[in-house]
Amino acid sequence: MTHRWGMAVDLDRCTGCEACVTACRTENNVRIAGPEESAKGRSIAWIRVERYYEGDFPDVRVKFRPVMCQQCDAAPCEPVCPTYASHHSEEGLNAQIYNRCIGTRYCANACPYNVRFFNFGNPVWDRPLDLPLNPDVSVREVGVVEKCTFCTQRISAGKDQAKAEGRELRDGEIKPACVQSCPTSALVFGDLNDPESAVSMLSRSSRGTKLMDDLGTQPKVTYLKKEY
Amino acid sequence: MNRRSFIKFSALTGTSATLASCGNPEYHLIRFIPEDRLVAGIAVWKPSICPLCSAGCGLTVRVMEGDAEVIRDGKLGVTKMGLAKKLEGDPQNPINQGKLCTRGQAAMEVTYHPDRLGHPLKRAGSRGDGKFEEITWDQAMAELTGKLDALAAAGNQKSLAILTRPQRGARGAVLAEFANRFGAAAPLAFEFFGNDVIRRANEMSFGKAQLPTLDLAESQFVISFGADFLGTWNSPVAQNVGYGQMRQGRPGMRGKFVQVEYRMSQSGANADEWVPVKPGTEGVLALGIANAIMKQGTRKASDAGHAGTLVDGWMTGLADHTPQEVEKKTGVTAARIERLAKEFSGQKPAVAIIAGAAVAQTNGLFNALAVNALNALVGSVETAGGIYFTPQPANLGTGTNFAKNGEIGAGAQVLFVDGANPVFASPKAWKVKEAISAVPYIVSFGNFIDETSVMADLILPDHSFLESWVQSAPESGAKTAVSMMAPPVMRPLHDTRATGDVLLEVSKKLAKPLNMPWQKFEDAVKEQPGGNAGRSPLPKPAPAQAAKYAEPQFDGDAGQYGFHFLPYPSIAFLDGSLAHLPLLQELPDPMSSAIWSSWVEINMQTADKMGIRQGDLVEITSSQGSIRVPAFPSPGIAPDVIAMPVGQGHENYTRYASGRGANPIEILAPVKEPETGSLAWAATRVKIAKAADADGRLVLFAGSLRDYPPEGMHR
Ligand code: SF4
Ligand code: SF4
Repeated sequence: MTHRWGMAVDLDRCTGCEACVTACRTENNVRIAGPEESAKGRSIAWIRVERYYEGDFPDVRVKFRPVMCQQCDAAPCEPVCPTYASHHSEEGLNAQIYNRCIGTRYCANACPYNVRFFNFGNPVWDRPLDLPLNPDVSVREVGVVEKCTFCTQRISAGKDQAKAEGRELRDGEIKPACVQSCPTSALVFGDLNDPESAVSMLSRSSRGTKLMDDLGTQPKVTYLKKEY
Repeated sequence: MNRRSFIKFSALTGTSATLASCGNPEYHLIRFIPEDRLVAGIAVWKPSICPLCSAGCGLTVRVMEGDAEVIRDGKLGVTKMGLAKKLEGDPQNPINQGKLCTRGQAAMEVTYHPDRLGHPLKRAGSRGDGKFEEITWDQAMAELTGKLDALAAAGNQKSLAILTRPQRGARGAVLAEFANRFGAAAPLAFEFFGNDVIRRANEMSFGKAQLPTLDLAESQFVISFGADFLGTWNSPVAQNVGYGQMRQGRPGMRGKFVQVEYRMSQSGANADEWVPVKPGTEGVLALGIANAIMKQGTRKASDAGHAGTLVDGWMTGLADHTPQEVEKKTGVTAARIERLAKEFSGQKPAVAIIAGAAVAQTNGLFNALAVNALNALVGSVETAGGIYFTPQPANLGTGTNFAKNGEIGAGAQVLFVDGANPVFASPKAWKVKEAISAVPYIVSFGNFIDETSVMADLILPDHSFLESWVQSAPESGAKTAVSMMAPPVMRPLHDTRATGDVLLEVSKKLAKPLNMPWQKFEDAVKEQPGGNAGRSPLPKPAPAQAAKYAEPQFDGDAGQYGFHFLPYPSIAFLDGSLAHLPLLQELPDPMSSAIWSSWVEINMQTADKMGIRQGDLVEITSSQGSIRVPAFPSPGIAPDVIAMPVGQGHENYTRYASGRGANPIEILAPVKEPETGSLAWAATRVKIAKAADADGRLVLFAGSLRDYPPEGMHR
């Protein structure tokens, strides 16, 4: 059976701690833009935590929402790419092939979630900050678009491991970096084709919603709403 | 596996000047055998401990083979070696349970930082100007032993002073033993956001001078008075794990969470109910709740036991603290107090927490005692869903000996600085810089030049935590005692030495050797901690006089200085010690999304009235001086308060932090909590004015000011 990877985000657990944000950066060799480039809006984050203030002092509330690529089944970023750099994988992931990307940025404009980032220059790691770069993840150079992959390198490694041991993958065995680090377990990852998987069960929750579902993008990330 | 024992070497351009004293690097083969466990492309996992805060979370480190430039015997070359690639939480560790906080994830950069010090350094210019020359370890050790021998010869051993961060475990033990055997005073610990008030209160109420372990996973109702327990305080990862469980980990059951504070912290942002109070009245609110509970008849005063007797009027029902009276002081309505009392006593288990600004007032100890009594009243001490005191290994001190004005360096001839940066993190009025300048000889063991180590005469850089033996026995975070140790994860990148080993070696080389109980630092690590205590009943606290509510005192006349000033620990930098890590500089602040910036939070309506918009530069003035910083109008702050994260404003702390933003600590008045003598860092009043320069250089991840019109952006 092929897999269909998805994620559930429990907003009632998320505390906005941003462990996921740094975990993702270090796992996926996401560059540091530095203060000048950041001031031009060029800081890259495959996962970000959005905050929504509601009300005025003293009746104030805040909601946090981690947002990463929603891995849409009907992904608006795919048909607009002239080189098929942004395409759909067999396991339902929206994948970006960096060396096909010619930097039109049509995909980034088409994506309603604002999760695609363009590399305006070559990344710089002041030596020896380059030493901990993850050899399993390519470093993106100038002119290409990048975004969350659901840690595809971890998915492959998990599948390889299961195969080497001659067994099926276990639910929860594969964890993207953000999921692994999230202290409150707000993030859950797994196979949506397995109805018993934790992510499938959470995705069926009555608290579940999809971001901008009405656009018809069919995201594979389900947000479980915060309760009061 | 011959290929892997092949060693590359190369001359690196641009380094010959610094290496001149070591000969010509081209002709030296570095004899450095790669680890045979490593196969190219295959990761191995090794244990370690996160060093960034005292929570002491357990790590598993992903190690892979890679090429690194290293220095061996003073020579630079490239070699294949095991390199730490990624830090993960150790799933076996009862504290962090496989998770890490955002800072822990960034801890990697400590080892690989481009401005990390790689050799012993000796001051070459005048003190503090940052000019150093590289020397060899032999020279450095001779220099240090000479200084200490001279002190001993003059019978002046007492004039060696040691200044550290709070150290638990082997490193602290080596420092303390060194001081003891040499004849110097015990090391002083310096920590800006210290927990002395909480420890003192817990000692008085429960006989335990230690931080509590929160059992949130089992709680039904949590009320926190100012504690940023999901962000920066105590054991944040453990507390987030418990919080997630409390909210959605128990089918059909969801714990409620109320946060009492006057500036919305990241923790407060998660509360079901956010209760702003007037600064310094948190304890009174707790007593108002206690009064209502007693009146509602669900608990009687004596249920609080000893902790209750420490609060004046408690045993007679807190007649002075009726909800109506408390409303006047705190600004929280009597009806709300009564409802909170019902919920707090009706939900089981319920727990109250206090930390942060609530204890950083002149009446901080009272506030903490009041919250302790409230906890005791509903029976949440040492019970599921309440607070626990983790059993402590016998030979670990928990007290921090807070270094204050004049104590640092008074009369010292030689000063050791180990990881503390009091020049940055103390109010100007303490004159720490002046005190340190007066010490004739300063030795720093730090990995980086910062505002304190730049004053050193000798710098003996330590290994990073990944390169040395590490050990930790955290004070809180798990219900059972936890003690961990781990060997080095990788070989050193630079010509550094573990500080423990340096001290042990010096102790042997002195004219009168100190006969330390360990040969190597490794021995000290393996010995610590002894006699793990099991859980035992709380000791009987010493009797003490009941504390009476006193109005909080603030520096600065309310008429002239219209705002309370709240510096708070930044999610990224804590007390500023992590501002050198680029990963954390570019981490969007959870409440503002600011990166690479300093800012001051101001109530939106107040800002509107003053014509201050997001990003406008604001001048903040206290009785101690002024700083300038861009404004961030927010709804989550009281109209008469402004708040600023601590961490930026470094003069001298690597390329990433130097000259960036402003340091709120600078303008704090030296007001103290009188019982413990610790700084009441939330007790300064300020005035603010819009500065002439329009652009405050506030960079927000969610859209920078240069690219977006500032108007309306703040909503
Ligand atoms: S790590 Fe988890 S709790 Fe923290 S911000 Fe990310 S999703 Fe939220
Ligand atoms: S809470 Fe974060 S910084 Fe502190 S020890 Fe744990 S991972 Fe490290």
